[in-house]
Order: sequence, then C-alpha cells, then structure tokens
Amino acid sequence: MIDPVEMQDFFAAFFSGALVIVFGAIYALFLAWGRLRGSRNFIAAAYGVYALLVIAVLVLAEAMHFDGFWNLITVVMLVGYLLAPHGIWLLSRDTHNEAEAKFNSD
Amino acid sequence: MTSKWWANENFWRKSAVWVTASMTLVLILLTFDTIPKISVGSERVPAYSVINQRIDYVFNKERNFQVPVIGQAQPLFGNTLNEEEAEALVTWGKKITQGRNCMNCHTLLGNGAYYAPDLTKAWLDPAWGDSSTRESMMVNFLMDPVSNYMNDSGRKMPNMNISEQEAQAIIAFLKWMSSIDTNGFPYNFKPIDQEG
Amino acid sequence: MLGVLDNNNLNGGQKLAVKYFSVAVILFVAQILFGLIAGMQFIMPDLFFNVLDFNVTRMVHINAMVVWLLMGFMGSIYWLLEDEAGVETVGLKLGNLAFWLLTSAVTVVVLVYLFIQVGPGDDFTRWFVNEGREYIEAPRWADIGIVVCMLIFFYNAAATFMKGRWSGISGVLILDLVALAGIYLAGMFYTTNISVDQFWWWWVIHLWVEATWEVLVGCIMAWGLIKLLGARRQIVTTWLYIEVALMFGSGILGLGHHYFWIGTPEYWLSIGGFFSALEPVPLVAMVVHSVYDSGAHKFKAANHPAMAWLIAHTFGNFFGAGVWGFMHTLPQINLYTHGTQWTASHGHLAFFGAYATIVIAVFYIAVQQWRGGVWMSGGLAGNGWKWKWALGLLNGGVLGMTMALLIAGYEQSFIERAIEGSTWQGYFVAQVHPWFIQGMNWRMVFGVVTAMGIVLLVWDLLTIGKGENRAKQEV
Repeated sequence: MIDPVEMQDFFAAFFSGALVIVFGAIYALFLAWGRLRGSRNFIAAAYGVYALLVIAVLVLAEAMHFDGFWNLITVVMLVGYLLAPHGIWLLSRDTHNEAEAKFNSD
Repeated sequence: MTSKWWANENFWRKSAVWVTASMTLVLILLTFDTIPKISVGSERVPAYSVINQRIDYVFNKERNFQVPVIGQAQPLFGNTLNEEEAEALVTWGKKITQGRNCMNCHTLLGNGAYYAPDLTKAWLDPAWGDSSTRESMMVNFLMDPVSNYMNDSGRKMPNMNISEQEAQAIIAFLKWMSSIDTNGFPYNFKPIDQEG
Repeated sequence: MLGVLDNNNLNGGQKLAVKYFSVAVILFVAQILFGLIAGMQFIMPDLFFNVLDFNVTRMVHINAMVVWLLMGFMGSIYWLLEDEAGVETVGLKLGNLAFWLLTSAVTVVVLVYLFIQVGPGDDFTRWFVNEGREYIEAPRWADIGIVVCMLIFFYNAAATFMKGRWSGISGVLILDLVALAGIYLAGMFYTTNISVDQFWWWWVIHLWVEATWEVLVGCIMAWGLIKLLGARRQIVTTWLYIEVALMFGSGILGLGHHYFWIGTPEYWLSIGGFFSALEPVPLVAMVVHSVYDSGAHKFKAANHPAMAWLIAHTFGNFFGAGVWGFMHTLPQINLYTHGTQWTASHGHLAFFGAYATIVIAVFYIAVQQWRGGVWMSGGLAGNGWKWKWALGLLNGGVLGMTMALLIAGYEQSFIERAIEGSTWQGYFVAQVHPWFIQGMNWRMVFGVVTAMGIVLLVWDLLTIGKGENRAKQEV
C-alpha cells in the first residue's frame, strides 16, 4: 500500500530526492579523491557529505510516508550509497592491478 | 601486486551473464503472472460489456485511493450490447484513437503527449455536465471540437472528421477504459455527478 | 592528404558509417526544427492549426530523435567493426542496400506523417499511415522494413566478427543487438486491451532506452576509450562487464516504474519503487571509477571535441537519468507527476545527456579520420571556437529547456493534480497558470539556443580540420 505525498510536502519530496543523488555523487567523489591522494581531510569530508545524504534520505522517507515494505527502500539507499563507492574503489584498484600485473609479465 | 578473484575479467563476464539471465527470468515470470491479471474480463480490466453498466470512481479505504466501481445497468446510447458487439465497438473505438493519432496530444493511462487532457477518466469527467447530458455532449464535441471547445488556453482540438458512429465507438472505448483499475491514477479525481 | 574529406581515408565499414552519420545529422536537425514548432504551438496555439497540428509536429519531433540516434548507433558500429574484428566487413553490399532501404523507408514514413497524417480506424491506417502509439508510430510495413534492415545490420556485424576475431566488446555488442531487435517485436501487434497494449509497449520503450541502448553505448564508449585515450583493453572490457551486470541488474526490473498506473497489479508499485531506488546507485558509484581513471593516469586526448562530448555525456547521464529520474519516480510522488511536463523535463535531459552526446562524440571521431587523421587536440584554427560554442549552446539550451519544463511540471503537479483533482478543467487551469506560461516561454527561448547550437555544430562538423596540416596527436 502506498500513502501519497501531501501537497505541502511536494517540495521536500522532490528536493530531497534530488539531493540523495547529488550527495551520493559528492560523497563518492570525495571518497575517491581522498583515497587517491591519501588525504584524510577529503575522507572526513566524504563522510560529512554522507551524513547530509542520511538526512536527505530520512526527509524523503518522511515525505513519502514510507511504511512496512517501503522501509526496506530507506535501508537500501542508506547502505547502498555508503558501500557501493567503496566496492567500486576496490574494483578500480584491483582491476587495474590485475591488468598491469598481466601486462608486466607478458 | 594483488590479484583477487573478484577483480577478474572472467568473474565479471560470468556475473554479467548470470545477472542478466536471472533478471530476465524474473521479468518473464512476473509477466506470466501479470498478463492474466490484466486480461479483458479480469478483476482489474473488466469485460467490454462493462459499457452497459454504470461506472463510478470511489475512494477505497483499504487501498487508500479511488478505484472503479461497476454499478447497475446504464446502457451506452440506450443500447445494451452483448459481449461480442461490445468488443467490436470498443475495438473500433480504439483503432480510431490510434488512426487519428490522439496519443500525440493527449495521454491515455497517463502516457502520451501533454498538449491536451488525460483521457483515462474522460468518461467520468465533470466537464460533461451530468449523466443526462454526457453522451450527447461528448458526441458533439468529438464531431465538432472547434465550435464546442471549453477552455481559455487558446488551445483547440482540430476537427478530426469524426462521424457520429465513430464518435460513439470512441466513447465506448473511453467508457471501457475508465473501468480499468489503475491503482488510483488519476489521484484525487472529482468525477461527474451521475445521480441526475 | 591531410585536412581533406576523402573516402580513401576510410575502410569499407567506415564508408557506410559516414552515410549513416549524414542522415543522422539531417534527422537531428529535423528533430530540433519540429521541436521548435511544437514548442511554439504551446505559446501560439493557432500556429499551423489544421495544417500541421501538434500531434503531427510532436510525432515527427520524437520519431526523428529515435531514428537519428538509432542511425548514429548503427553508424558507430560500422565505424568500429573492421578495427575491432581485424578483417573487412562481411556483406557490405547488403549493408549498403539496407542503408538505402532504411533511408527511403524513413523518408516515405515522414512524408506520410506530414501529408496524410491520420486515417480511419481500420487496419489499413495502422499498416500504411500511422500506428498511433507514442514513439513507435511508424506504420507496420515500416516496422517490418526496420526489422529487415536490423537483421542485415546484425548479419554484417556478427559475420565480420566471426570471420575475424571476437573480443569482449564485440561479444557484448552482438548479444545486445539480438536483444535490441527481439524487443522491438514486442511492439508489433494490435490489441484492443490498452493495459496489455501498454504493458508490451513499455518493453520496447523502457528495455530499449534504459537497458539495451545503455549497453550499446557502453560498448561504443569502451571502444572509444581504447582508441581515444589509449586505455588498456583488459581493463575496459572488465568494466564493460561490470556495467552490464549493474545496468541489467537494476534496469530490467526498473521496467516496474512504468507499471504503476496502467492497470497492472499493485505489486508493481513495490517492484518499481525498489528498483527505481536501486537504479541510481551504480550510476553514482561509478563516479569513483571516473576519478580513479583520471587521477591514476595522465591521458593525452587525440580529439578534444570528442573528449568534451564524452564528458558532457557523463554529466548529462548523471543529471538526466539519475537526478531527474529519481526526483519523480517513486509512486508516492509519481501519482502527481505521471503525464505532466515533469516527464518532458526528464525526457529532454536524459535523451540528450545519455545518447545525443555520445553520438556527437562519434561524429567528431569520424570526421577526424575522414580528413586523414588530422590534429584535433589543443590549438585548433580559431581556437576551436565553433565546437566550443556548439557544445556550450547545445548543452545550455537543453539544460535551460529542462529547467523551464521542470517549473511547468512542478506547477502542474500542484494545481492540476493535487488541488483540482486531475479533471479536464483542472488540466486547463494549470495550463493558463503564470508559472506554466512562463515555463513554456522560457522553454522556447532555450529551444532557440539549442537550435543555434545545432547550426554551429553542423557547420563545425563540415569544416573542422579543413586545411589542417598537422597529424593527430599520438596516444
């Protein structure tokens, strides 16, 4: 069952939705940049942005009246945006190493 | 130098194949479940002969939105049609809407273009006065939309050379479409007065 | 000779590719031209009334888009075919025949759209005039023609790879083409049941645009990265597989977000909602990979315009598909936005950002080779002002239209949907609201900006590298 957004929450619904994606991207950007440059400040900033993302997700969940099954979506967003960039980072590092190792031994 | 199994080309080739195959399989299974539920004569998509009956759009507390409710007899243009005749009429109506390219101005079930109103609940729209004036107003509008238009946006529906029989077929299609259970779309709709 | 358009600079497949690109550019111009007329009809409803009504101009606008992108993709595949397979294109004569068939079919269809326009509600109309279903309006005879041409195209590609060598990219490409052609069949039948009609209609639209086209672009992009930046093949291929897994993993059932309101069961609200929330996650996570790639290696780009358009693709895809898609996709809000200018706003940015950009990038790669592999890095004649301005105007124009349509759609969801309750009167109350009218005016302004961009783009494609005597930068 869905409980549609109230009219006074339209702006919150649209805006928090957009911010989830934007903060997700900035978090990923800072995280990757921090790892690449070995900068603790960027890593810290990344988690700061993630904290904003958490707020955006919660505002979104509130505006959308998430309940029951829909809480799963909140969890998926919170965990997905937190962990996926780490996963892609590890993949970036190791796919490149893998290819380079093969390249060097050829 | 690390060489991890999960960063390996081979692993991802297999993953891509497995993910694609399993998602496709799930989609196919869901399709098998959905198609019978949206076939004509099902609970969600009524038989074409529903055009012989009154259709309402009523708030359902349990589902938390409006749903179509099929009521007592209310024959379209005074004719009660059997299943076969109703299907023929609705089919003709839908083919006319395709042939006249209605969907590139209007939306049907919310899909199409946004230059003209949605047709999902056109049959139930209060623009047609009440249930006593509705049929004749709709026919007149479809046959001569330019002199019967009713908005101040300056936009008019062009005359699509629709005959009276064609207009009746289109209305049959619209009436049938209004009986489809669309999970509450359009939301908060204010239907026509059918008590008159 | 450097700097001169010469077919001797192209291999067999590439000669065919530039034919496809030429028609694609013409259709791109047509798309924008008819878009301008359709946009103007919102402001001046009497414009071409009874002569070229909105349903015709809008149909040509969206059909020209689908076909030019498709021809751009086909051209791109012919472009990379011999290079990727290591042998000459197999069955090129047949391929040429298919090109002329497709081009004449498209011409006839457009002429019928413009001059016959509509027909009675019978089978003849659907077979020979207009099918009347958004995006796939092409009459049935043309559908069959398209399938035949696609089969020939598929034969060219598959047979060439079979004769030459297979690679990860070509493997993904061929499987994707099978899916792409197969899915088109889902739109090729008539049914009166509009729920079933739209159920299959979305297979064509969604599974093309949000699945198979994405992967096709991934293949072109993978090849482009190897050629343009000298990226290592093994890495690119691995990432292509990763992308396929992520995109099909979230995109195939993302189809669910089109099954909210067409009569389909309520469980699609949950499936659609869940996968819509999931779809942007890989898009966002990929930012990490872009940063890694650009930080870990110092690339020299042999083709600056193409590179710039690929960057525009990255941003356009992120904002158009990611941000604009997610803003209105959950059913709790989509109930108010479905079928309003919200969709148009999202559609403009997403189609342009995800697809038009990358095809334009390939145009530049093609022109570079066509002129004998000329210099297209920094320090072009006139500092490359034409391509830079074309890039700026097109991106700025589309972004401006997107914002204008967003404001109109936002107003519609309030006035028409929430307050007025979606009646016809509610619809028109929303259409005459100042926000809507302003939105349509600004959309027109940015439409003109976009049109100036295309003029400059065509001019640049025709002249860039002309008389240039430096060979392209090695990567």
